[in-house]
Amino acid sequence: MERKQPDLVLIVARSFATKLATPTLIIDARGDLVYFNDAAAEVLGRSYLDIGTLPASRWQDLFQPRTIDEEPLSPEQTPGGIALRERRPVHGSFAFSDLGGREREITVTAFPLYSRPDEVVGVMSIFWELPAAP
Amino acid sequence: MIVRIWGARGSLSAPGPATVGYGGNTSCVEVELADGTTLILDAGSGIRELGQRLLQRDRGVVHICLTHLHLDHVEGLGFFAPLWQAGWKLHFWGPPSTTATLRARVSRYLSPPLFPMGLSEAPAEVVFDDVPREPWRIGSALVEAQTVEHRGPTLGYRIEEEGRVFAYLPDHEPYLTAALDDQPEWISGWRLAAGADLLFHDSQYTDEEYAGRLGWGHSSVCHAAAFARAAGVRQLALFHHDPMRSDRELESLYDQVAESLRDEQEPPLIARERSELELGADW
Repeated sequence: MERKQPDLVLIVARSFATKLATPTLIIDARGDLVYFNDAAAEVLGRSYLDIGTLPASRWQDLFQPRTIDEEPLSPEQTPGGIALRERRPVHGSFAFSDLGGREREITVTAFPLYSRPDEVVGVMSIFWELPAAP
Repeated sequence: MIVRIWGARGSLSAPGPATVGYGGNTSCVEVELADGTTLILDAGSGIRELGQRLLQRDRGVVHICLTHLHLDHVEGLGFFAPLWQAGWKLHFWGPPSTTATLRARVSRYLSPPLFPMGLSEAPAEVVFDDVPREPWRIGSALVEAQTVEHRGPTLGYRIEEEGRVFAYLPDHEPYLTAALDDQPEWISGWRLAAGADLLFHDSQYTDEEYAGRLGWGHSSVCHAAAFARAAGVRQLALFHHDPMRSDRELESLYDQVAESLRDEQEPPLIARERSELELGADW
C-alpha cells in the first residue's frame, strides 16, 4: 500500500476551507491545485469533485489567468504563485476565464502555509469576485 | 515485537473497583523489539510500574517516544525509577515546537512547584530529540512519527519490524480533518495507520458525548472504527478510555465497534492494562 500523504497543515487548511463560505483554494508546495471549496466552485465554474487535483500547468490552460489589462500571467505570477515562491503574503487582482467561458475578475489574498519555521507546504488563497465594470 | 500495555486510560488516572478490569493508569505502552531494545510510548502513570519491572534487568538505554506533553502522557515520568539511577540512559523523542525545546517543555512539569525535583538532578543520562521528519531506526525497528490532529503539537507513531506494523495514535480527532469516508490521504494520521497489523487508537467518547466535545481533540469509538476501516487496519484496539468509563460501560461499546468493521478485519480489542500482544509471524 502506497502511503503518500499531505502534511497535516495542508490537511487542516483543506478542512478549514471546506467550512468557509468565502471562495478559497489551496495549492501544495509544487504549485499544484489540491483543493477548492464550494464557494470557489461557484466562481470557477465547476466543483472540485468534478476537476480533482490539477498540476500548475493544467490549471493555467484551463483558466488562462491574466492581468486586469489582459496581459497573460503564468501560475508563478498569480498572488498564490508569488506567495509560494517568495514565502510571504500577497494581495492582488487578476482576471481569468471560468470553465463556462465567462470572464471573471477577482481580488486574492494568498498566504504561505508553514508547517515548520523553515518549511512551506502550500498556499491558501482566499478570493472575492470584483464587481463587473459598469 | 511484543506490545505491553501499562496504561490505557485517557485524561486522568481512574483507579477504583469500576475500572479494575481494564485499568486506571494513563497512557503508557512498552514495545519490546526483537533485538531486545525497549521502546516506551508515552509516560502516563502506567510508566511507574514499568519502571519497577525494568529495574530487574541490566541498566541500559531506553527510548521514550512521547506523542505530546499533555499531563496524562508525562505525569508518570517523575516516578519512573530508571530516571533516578545512574547507569540508565533515557532517550526521549517528542513533537517539535516553535517556542521551546523538548527538554525545556518536559522540564516545566519536572521542576518545582509542580514536582519537587528538577530534571537536572536526575542521575540517569537524559537525551532529548525532536522526532526526525523521515522514518528512523530505533534498535531493530523502523519508527515513523507524524503530526496528527489534536490540541497542540501532537504525534502519532508507526513501528515496523519483521514485516509487522504497530500504529499508536492515542490522542487523535481525525473527524475534524475530513469525512472519514473521504479520500484517505486527506484524513489526519492515515499514513501512520495504513495497512497496520495493530492500531491503538483514541476512542474516548460515545457518539453522544462527542457531539458535545467536538474539537476537544479526541474520537468517538465509532470514529475510531471508521478510521481503522479507512486505513485498512487489521486489528483495532480501543485506547485512551474516558476516565468516567467503567469496565461494564467499555464492554457495552464494544458491540457498536465490532459491527462497523470490515469483514476482513479482526474483531477489535479493548486495550487492557497489563495485557501483552505479540506481533510475530503468527499474528
